[in-house]
Amino acid sequence: MFFHIVLERNMQLHPRHFGPHLRDKLVAKLMKDVEGTCSGRHGFVVAITGVEDIGKGLIREGTGFVTFPVKYQCVVFRPFKGEILEAVVTMVNKMGFFAEAGPVQIFVSNHLIPDDMEFQSGDVPNYTTSDGSVKIQKESEVRLKIIGTRVDATEIFCIGTIKDDFLGVISDPGGAL
Amino acid sequence: VRWSVRGRLVRLTARAFYDDISIKGDTQAKTSRGDNRGMAVVVLDGLTRRQWVREEDLAKSLKLHSKQLRRVLRFFEEEKLVTRDHRKESAKGAKIYSAAAAAAGDGQPTKEGEEKVKLHTHSYCCLDYAQICDVVRYRIHRMKKTLKDELDSRNTVQHYICPNCKKRYSAFDALQLISYTDEYFHCENCNGELLAESDKLSSEEMGDGDDNARKRRREKLNDMQQRIDEQLKPLQAQLKRVKDLPAPEFGSLQSWERLNLGAFAHGDSAAAEAARNAQGQYNGTPMPYLGDTKVDVELAGSGVKAEGDESGRDGSALKVLPPWMVREGMNLTKEQRGESSNTSKGDEKSEVKDEKKQDSKEDEKSLQDEYLKAYYEALKKRQEEEDAKRMQQEGQAFSSEIHSERQVGMKAKREDENGEDEGVEWEEEQPAGNTSEEPYKFVDLNAEAPESGDDEEDEIDWEEG
Repeated sequence: MFFHIVLERNMQLHPRHFGPHLRDKLVAKLMKDVEGTCSGRHGFVVAITGVEDIGKGLIREGTGFVTFPVKYQCVVFRPFKGEILEAVVTMVNKMGFFAEAGPVQIFVSNHLIPDDMEFQSGDVPNYTTSDGSVKIQKESEVRLKIIGTRVDATEIFCIGTIKDDFLGVISDPGGAL
Repeated sequence: VRWSVRGRLVRLTARAFYDDISIKGDTQAKTSRGDNRGMAVVVLDGLTRRQWVREEDLAKSLKLHSKQLRRVLRFFEEEKLVTRDHRKESAKGAKIYSAAAAAAGDGQPTKEGEEKVKLHTHSYCCLDYAQICDVVRYRIHRMKKTLKDELDSRNTVQHYICPNCKKRYSAFDALQLISYTDEYFHCENCNGELLAESDKLSSEEMGDGDDNARKRRREKLNDMQQRIDEQLKPLQAQLKRVKDLPAPEFGSLQSWERLNLGAFAHGDSAAAEAARNAQGQYNGTPMPYLGDTKVDVELAGSGVKAEGDESGRDGSALKVLPPWMVREGMNLTKEQRGESSNTSKGDEKSEVKDEKKQDSKEDEKSLQDEYLKAYYEALKKRQEEEDAKRMQQEGQAFSSEIHSERQVGMKAKREDENGEDEGVEWEEEQPAGNTSEEPYKFVDLNAEAPESGDDEEDEIDWEEG
């Protein structure tokens, strides 16, 4: 799920950036540092949408670096148990398949794949129904439901299932549909 | 006794899901004094006998405090069983409602003199039958699905075990376990191939207390599933019966009032009566069975029964018809139509009853209901015939009586064959054009059959191509 929230961060700025464009430099550095990171508490920071407040800078003794407390608005993405996501399959093996929904890695184990889908090894490993009408392979897009998340300080990993109504392949890798 | 099909559905629903729900206000939450379980059932039952009803009136007739009632209704509104409407209105507005209610045959006593020309906010409520079907079906579906998911352990996280060093992993560790040389997960310690824990090895070796608990839980779930199936069977049957019927549309409060008033405004009560019938039975669209099937045969006992129901004694819709009920019905006919063919009718009746008793109990209940319905239909019809006959001439009474006798027999037979009486009764309720209805139906059937055949062919073609 996406959230638009306000976060705070202490930014250290090198003295060479001091000047008329200090603020711009600060924001640029903030974006570079923060966007794409993951915190267990808030999820993945997708984008910074605005800077609310830059506090008073504090000069570090010895280095000359200045620390600014910065409040910024950002869009974060955090997967939840029970959430339905659309994801792209990245790897298929005998144990199941891995998929990515944006920055989130999701593993779907083979007992959470419908029973009528069988693993086919070979050049392109895939899961296929007996009549061959549905195939899950690398680059397939699937709709899945998250049944568990493992949230570390800097990492979120999910387990999903496609063994439920309206879940499964939503488009083939070739894009024929 | 004239429980409508939908009314029965609501009653069953009330008893299945809202029997032990106590609706507490914020203030009552602490005290145990207000044990109002069962009140929900009473209110729902009360609503099945009405269309749009002013909440004060409902409270009065149910002998509930209006605050209590409102709390219950709010609960049901959230449950999507009841639609409510609030509006500010003067005494005149209230009168419009009263007139509409009277026209709709609710027969609510109205006290016109008491009301002043002050604006009051009045609340009205009504069962939303169309939605109720969906709500109940969804509820049952969710219950079953939750259980099934649990049983299939669908949402559990897969565990893996290393056969060499017995180290256990869960699917959360999957990222670390992938090997790029083959398709299996590999142990971080010894690089052995991991096995999914549901495989035989693990169940043999890891069969400890944890496994036992799981087994017990499974048994419990199985048991629960069976009980759900069993206990909801009557409700499911009722749902199936209701499914194909058109939903009775009361519309919003305004449109309902307009509809009923429209009939009333024509002046004579006959028009209102006709409109009521049109709405209720003959028109087909609004409601085939709703409340208003006020058969003239209303027995002296039925009023008592309704009251008993009001006070919350449940199951009266399900109970086997007490013998005094039948007796009374027969008396009534006897009075009205003299002694002539009464005995033979009684025999026939008892025969049918005996047949029914042989059936299983559940069937008996529903059959009883259906039989009763058919019986009253037949009675009503007969009465109408009787009246007409009496008005015309008395000389031919004998022959026409034989005729009507046969009809009753035929009808009962049909009930037994079909199992569902809706279609049949609906047809027979058509005041005229009964004959024109049947050929139409046949045509319809014929038209359907080839169509489905085409579909199949199409499918085959499509698969080949």
